[in-house]
This record gives sequence, structure tokens and C-alpha cells, in this order.
Amino acid sequence: MDEKVGKFWDHYVTKKASRLFKDEEVTFTEIAKSLKLFYHLLGGEKGKELHITDKRSIQTSRTLLEKFSGTGKTFFLAWQDEKGIYLPASLAYFPLKTHNEMHYYWLIAMLSNVTVNTQNISSENMRVSDLLIEKYPGFREFYTYCTRYLREHYPELSTIEPSLEASSVHNYPNPLWIYLPLSSSNKLLSSNDEEEVHRQRDEENKTEILKMKKKSEQINDKKETDGLLLFLPESILSLMEQVKVDRQENDSFDADALYNAEDLEEITLGQKDANLSARIKMDLDISANSVEEYPLGKGHFIDEWDYKKEIYLKNYVCIKPIISLHTEPIELPKRLQKMMRRVQSELDLMELDCIKRDNLPYGDEINIESWIDYKGDQNRSNHPQRFFQTYERKMRDMSTLILADVSLSTEAGITQEIRVIDMIQDALMVFSESLHRLRDRFAIYTFSSIKNTKVNFHIIKNFKESYSDHIRGRIHAIKPGYYTRMGAGIRESGKILEKQQSANKLLLILSDGKPNDVDRYDGRYGIEDTKKAIEEVKQKGITPFCITIDIEAKEYLPYLFGRNSYAVIRDAKKLPKVLPEIYMNLTK
Amino acid sequence: MSKTYYLPQSNEVELFKAAARMNLPVLIKGPTGCGKTRFVEAMGEELGRDVYTVVCHDDLSAADLVGRHLIDENGTYWQDGPLTKAVRNGGICYLDEIIEARKDTTVVIHSLADYRRVLPIDRTGEVITAHPDFMLVVSYNPGYQNVLKGMKPSTKQRFISLTFNYPKAEIEREVIVKESGVDQKIAQKLVAIAGEIRQLSDSDIQEAVSTRLLIYAGKLITHGFDPYQACMHSIVESLSDEEDVLAVLEKLISLHFAKNAKF
Repeated sequence: MDEKVGKFWDHYVTKKASRLFKDEEVTFTEIAKSLKLFYHLLGGEKGKELHITDKRSIQTSRTLLEKFSGTGKTFFLAWQDEKGIYLPASLAYFPLKTHNEMHYYWLIAMLSNVTVNTQNISSENMRVSDLLIEKYPGFREFYTYCTRYLREHYPELSTIEPSLEASSVHNYPNPLWIYLPLSSSNKLLSSNDEEEVHRQRDEENKTEILKMKKKSEQINDKKETDGLLLFLPESILSLMEQVKVDRQENDSFDADALYNAEDLEEITLGQKDANLSARIKMDLDISANSVEEYPLGKGHFIDEWDYKKEIYLKNYVCIKPIISLHTEPIELPKRLQKMMRRVQSELDLMELDCIKRDNLPYGDEINIESWIDYKGDQNRSNHPQRFFQTYERKMRDMSTLILADVSLSTEAGITQEIRVIDMIQDALMVFSESLHRLRDRFAIYTFSSIKNTKVNFHIIKNFKESYSDHIRGRIHAIKPGYYTRMGAGIRESGKILEKQQSANKLLLILSDGKPNDVDRYDGRYGIEDTKKAIEEVKQKGITPFCITIDIEAKEYLPYLFGRNSYAVIRDAKKLPKVLPEIYMNLTK
Repeated sequence: MSKTYYLPQSNEVELFKAAARMNLPVLIKGPTGCGKTRFVEAMGEELGRDVYTVVCHDDLSAADLVGRHLIDENGTYWQDGPLTKAVRNGGICYLDEIIEARKDTTVVIHSLADYRRVLPIDRTGEVITAHPDFMLVVSYNPGYQNVLKGMKPSTKQRFISLTFNYPKAEIEREVIVKESGVDQKIAQKLVAIAGEIRQLSDSDIQEAVSTRLLIYAGKLITHGFDPYQACMHSIVESLSDEEDVLAVLEKLISLHFAKNAKF
């Protein structure tokens, strides 16, 4: 009962003390996508990800109410480091939603221009603010309004007066500014009674905490002095205190134990859960007799390129073609049917263009040109006399082989529930559905390897088989395993594609990382062999194209495939949707 | 007729003139709306040669380039295509977006694009030797990734290549001022907007804003359109159909030009 009353009181008093406009709040998640795009627009580094920041504590002068409620002590500030930029989970400083939204854009604009360090934090922020309001009239309006509003409602925020000297800057954090990285600006939670109240509030807003990164990660007690001065200009004394106390111990066991335990438990348990279920599913797949991996023959040998010796190692790699037997035929899963509808609208666009075929011995219409040609020809007996033309659905004369990397690394999780392999499976299903509807010829193979002696080459669908529920069953039965001997996979696929009669041959490689295997097939060796294999298939008139979810792929893929022959998909969850789109773009 | 306006970006004018003198064919690569066609027209004027422009598409047949038989009351007669006209009379034959044409069509230019400089016409049995003033220019946009399209290396390796890009900020500003009649300040703004949009990567947006679109925006502004509206209709809406991309671009424009602002 006591607890309940306590909570109620806390809720009331927090609300009373808050000067934020919760009803007009804008959350990061709502506009994250736009913000990222905006960040790129203003020249922000493309490699950086946008994240939600953790709160940080700053000692400030607080109003009486704030002291009561335990608020006004922790702040969500915008900052950046080499890896990403960090923004508050929500903003609600201003009474209008449009202004709160603009506040996010302002922070992004600031972030793409500032480089703050301990010395220049105020001058740098002011410099960039001036720059932005000079360059963008839209920001000028916003900034004028905001500074006026903040000055009126947050009297302690005197720092937005540019005339004030820098020493008073850190009394109260300016929500329009960019601050130092959290890890270097130590958090300074003094353990007094107010913490109790503060913690209660946190428990209540558990969901909010979960959205944030774990605080404990951010503490780096080696850098204790960095930025400390910044936020605690009034007492060097507390620095001394800080040094004596073992903060790490303090953090991990005493002070924050309660609240850290809360979210820690949540997070780790969640992960274990997911893994466990995944594992169980996989085990069942193996142990159940229903699916059987059936080797087709004893396997055959192909060459591999040794870049050190600059020779082919003849018949060095053993390819073992395998097919899964007794797979359950399945229909296209519901979630994918929905996606298929979206893809279909794009497919329709492609099907619209028919091509005219003229000079046919028979057809729908007379081709007047060839008739005139015939009439004008001096030597009529030589004329082929093909006077007809016809419009027909584009037979695109394409053969596409999809080679998916199903090495063990695809077992990795994207989120708690979804693994990379799940996305590859979904992508393969949507993709084959699309190609089936386009009536393009295609085949699907997957590969994984254990050294040169065993490169498993799974047949999901060959060019002759028609697309059916059985194929989907096989896609569904794909299991990750072993390593990525990519060169071998590519060579084998090249051999299959070479036999196709089409004028255009496309080899789509779906991958999640660099070529590697347990033997020396790693690093440069793997890369060079793969590059050689790609050159070989190119010579056969096959166009290779690689789609990868490896964000670092930009370092090696241009070398392997050439600048225009690969695509990096940052978000693996988009793979099912993007894959058909890439294909259509490639072949339009 | 007034002289075509063209502001050089770097050494392309000298290169083109040299190529014209030495009878070498020229290949121009560059994104859409960066001034390829304008450049060729300006050079045609400068050199005093006619420009025969053919915009290539995937239904373009060799006959469309070379010529065909037509009928009149006396029976059939031969009509030269644009390529043949240029070969016979001298002039620049400019094949725009050559990548769009089928590969078998582009093969007809092979004999013209090397030392032979002849055009054999199968249908009439004629073999025309090119006029000394004949020059072949082709262009394409290398930005698209496409398996089915792309120049055969055998075609590509017959040309002197020029790569165009969007002009540098000062040049682009001058071009906008000259072409659309807006003042320097607005032109500067438009260039700044373009500079920001061009920082987006392929994954965000299909292709960046072209100089041509900026000129459109400038023209709308000169004719009394509110700059915000002008940019929305000429730049933002033309670049994307995706809602979130549109929203962000709109934001960017509104930051540069306040809505309903008067200039």
C-alpha cells in the first residue's frame, strides 16, 4: 500500500514539476527514417547510425518542485561519437508539435556541423547555430522562437544569451546544443536520498528504460576526469571524492543495482529465449526423419586459384551436390503474400512493355516496311520475304541463378526473433514467386563448405524444375551450416549457367560476409580465389551481381565485383522486398 | 538565332575541338540534366556543323538511323536516315542515351567509329565514305545498374570519352542566373539545395537533382512563383515518389525558403 501511495505521489509530483508538453511530444521512432535522410542531406557521414541516447545526470540548480519530484537532474542530450549519433527518445519542450519536430531537425543539422570537445563546447555550438540560422531562414524562425521561449520558461537557462561568458555555460543543459559523448562525460550520480525517488520513477517507466541502452555500458571509469570538470565546475573536491570511491563496484552492486537489474534481466532473458527456441527448431529439423539430405553422386572436383603461387590447384575442391528429400510442400506464407501484393504492382509495370518483333514469316500485322523494302529491292529473289510483325510479351531471354550463402554466420540474429537465414529464406520465396510471375527462367542453389574436401551444393530448384509448393518446402528446409568457400560456389554456378541457352545470364549471389573457410581460405586467399572465379564466369558471358547484408562489404566488394555490380543492404529485414526490386532494376 | 549558351566546366571544349579536327568519335558520360546535349549543340554551332540528334530507345532499329524505302506515286524511293544524312553532308550525328538502343542497332556505327569511316547500306548496296566534317558523338548515363543494357566493350572502345558531372557551384550558379533570369542570391540558394540533395546516396534516392531542374525552379521563380512552391514542384516532386523522402526534401526546401515568403 505504501508503495502504491508512493508511486501515485511520485507520478503527481513529477507531472507537476515537468515543464514538458507530453501531449505535443514527438518521439524519435516516429521520424527516425526522415531524420536519417535529413542527416545525409546535410552531409552527415553515411556510415553513422542514429540511436536513442541514454540519460545523463547533471548537477544543476533546480526548482523546489523539481527537487521534490526528483526530476530536473537527468537529461537526454544530443551527442555523437565515431560510430553514430545519439538523440533523445522524445522531445516535448515546446507547446507545439511542429516545433518539437523541428527541434529534432535542428539537432540533426547541428550534429552534421559541429565537432565538440571539452574546450570549445559553447563556442562551437554558438558558431554552428549562427551558421545554421544564417544559411537557413527556416531555422532562423525556429531558433528565434525557441530561444525566446526557453528563456522565458527556463530562467536557469541563461546560456542562450551569447553575451554571457563560458564559465556559466553548464549550469543547465541547453536542449538546442550538442554535447560531449556520454562515455567521456562521466555521470555523476551522488548517492543521496533523492535517488530513491528517482529510481521509483524509473521503475514505472520501465518501457522507456528498455528503449535505451544500458547505462552501465557507458561508464568508463578510466576516463574519469574527462568532461568531469565540464559538468561540475563548482567543486574540484568532488573529483577527489570520486577518485577514492570505486565507482565500478558502486555502480554494479549498490547504487544502480535495482534498476539495472530490472532491464538487464529483461534483456538477457529475452535473448536466451529466442536462441533456445531457434535451437530447438533446428534440432528438430535434423533429428526428424522427414527431411533427408540426399547426396547426388559422390561429388566432383573443380579447380581453385592459389594467388601466392599464381596457379590453379587442379581438382582441388570437392563439390557435393545435395538435395533435400521428403520436404513438406508449403504454400506461400501469409506475411509474404502481403509483401507479394506490393511487389506485384511493380511487376505489372514490367510486364506492360511488350516488344515488337518484325520480319516474321507470319504474324499479327503486315510490316509495311519490309514490304516496301521488298518492293524497292533490286534483287528480289534475295529478299527473305518476311512481311509480318507481331507484338508479344517480352520474352526476356534471361536465365538467373541465385546462389545463396547459407554458412553458419547466417544463423546470427537480426532481432531477437529473426535470424539472417530467415530473411534469406523469405527473400528466396518472394524472389522466386516474382520470377515465376515474370516467367523468367531461374534456378536456386545454396552452398556451404568445410575445407576444400566438402563443399555442399544444395539444389533448391534447377532450371528444368517448375516452381511449386515443393520448391518452397525446400527453401523452408534450408539450414545454416559451416563456412563460405565462395569461389567454389561461383564456379559451380557458372558451370550450370553456361549450359543455358539464354542470351542473358545473371548470377545473383546472396551473401552475408567475406569468403572464408577453416583452412587457409580466409582473408586474401579467399578474396583472390573469389575474384578469379568471378572473372571466369564473366568470361563465360555471365553477369555476376552480389547482394550482401555485410555493412563492411564496401571494402572488398568493389574489388571483387566491380563498382556497379553489387548492392549492400543495410537492413537485412528489407531483403525480401529489395531483392526482387534489384532484379527488376537490373533487367528492366 | 542567338548563340547557344554553354559555360565550360573544364577542358571539354578543347578536347571536343581536337577530336573534331582529327575525326575521332566522342563518347560523353554523365548524369541526366548535367548539360550533355547542350554541350553538343553549342559545339555544333561553334564548329559550324549541323547537329543531327537521335534520341535512342529500345525500339530503335538500324533503319531508323540509316534510312529506309518509302513509297510515293512513282513507286518506292530511298530516304536517308539522320545518320546517313550526317555521313553524306557532314555534320555531327549525336546519339543521345545510346545505351537505350538495342545492341544490334548500335553495331551499325562500328564502321564509322574507327579508321574506316564508311557506312555500308545493305538495302541499297551503297557504301558511303564519310564527309570530312562528319563527326559521331554518343552519350549515356552510367548511373543505372542494368544487366541487359550497357555498352558493348567493342562499341565503347571506339570513342574518346568525356565524363560530365554536375557543374561546380559557381559555374552552376552562373548557368542558373543566365538561363532562368533569377538573381544571384536565389541562384546561390538553389545551388546550395542541390549540393545538399546530391549528398544523398543511391540507396536514399535514385538520382540527384539535375542542373536542368534547378533552371526550371529558377524560371518559375522569375515568373512570379513563390520560391518555396517553385522548388516543391520543380525539384522535390520530380525526384521521388516515396513519401518519407518527399517529406524530408520538403523540410529542406522550407528551411531554405520559408513558405509564402516574399522576395
